[in-house]
Amino acid sequence: MDDNSVAGLQNNGMASSDALLSRVGHLTRTLHDSLSALGLDKTIQDAAQDMPDVTDRLNYVVEMTEKAAQRVLNATDMAIPLQERITVGASSLLNTWESFSQSPFNEQAYREKMEATMCFLRETVSDSDASKRQLMDIMMAQDFQDLTGQVIRKIIQLAHNLEVQLLQLLLDYAPLEIKRETNTGLLNGPQINPQNKEDVVSDQGQVDDLLSSLGF
Amino acid sequence: MADQNLKFLVVDDFSTMRRIVRNLLKELGYSNADEAEDGVIALAKLRSEHFDFVVSDWNMPNMDGLTLLQSIRADAALASLPVLMVTAEAKKENIIAAAQAGANGYIVKPFTAATLDEKLVKIFEKLGKK
Repeated sequence: MDDNSVAGLQNNGMASSDALLSRVGHLTRTLHDSLSALGLDKTIQDAAQDMPDVTDRLNYVVEMTEKAAQRVLNATDMAIPLQERITVGASSLLNTWESFSQSPFNEQAYREKMEATMCFLRETVSDSDASKRQLMDIMMAQDFQDLTGQVIRKIIQLAHNLEVQLLQLLLDYAPLEIKRETNTGLLNGPQINPQNKEDVVSDQGQVDDLLSSLGF
Repeated sequence: MADQNLKFLVVDDFSTMRRIVRNLLKELGYSNADEAEDGVIALAKLRSEHFDFVVSDWNMPNMDGLTLLQSIRADAALASLPVLMVTAEAKKENIIAAAQAGANGYIVKPFTAATLDEKLVKIFEKLGKK
């Protein structure tokens, strides 16, 4: 390779990189103009701004659901021992009165048992009051569903908007062969020309063959 | 204490919140309540049956709580109906807009049973003085 040809190659390289840069510049300009014309530059800007907001919102959902779960578990932790005390107290009193009713009447024993019964009833009034308060708290803890629901609905809307915008961008600027491939969803409807497509079955026999080859 | 037979309309698009508010009202002694899931349904119910009190959310499909409130105030037959807003909208401009539209009270979610009780008592006190 002589000096001339090396210089020529370098020149060629420079020329092509200049052309590339100019082409990228041109594309960027066109893209920018088209985005502005479509009103997409604003929406993309909005979407970029929405992203940190989405993170905050999702964090809020995590926090709210965690708090609600903790609140419910705390309430059951407090209510279960109260319920157990009522059950244990009632069955022990029931036993006492059952054996009392089977033995001869004794006024002294009767008074003792009556005292114990009244004591239990007083405790039960306060225990069931306290466990009802816990039940009310469990009910109130469910308010997270409304609040997180509102936040999640907003995020769904945002994700949907972003998807629509990105898809539009792709459809407008993708090369032709990629455009064909974008239609890969599961809702493609009846095939107009199945014979010419590799990934489409053209009769029921092919359907059955495919299924049996997969072991169905 | 206000009349226990007062009929409440609870308006919220989330059924969980409607149940919570109804349960709280019941706990406070008001067991006569009906529900609506948005402003349109609420307005239709208010115009066809008698209600004494409305507890409404703000952000709802079809007709939001503020529009419902404005429609109630603009309707001669409903204009004096007490309306308590119970909403997650916590911006000052929301609260001011609701007050200007004639809300009798404003509770921000999440709220407690005690807050609801307090606001109801306050509203009934004011109404009693009129």
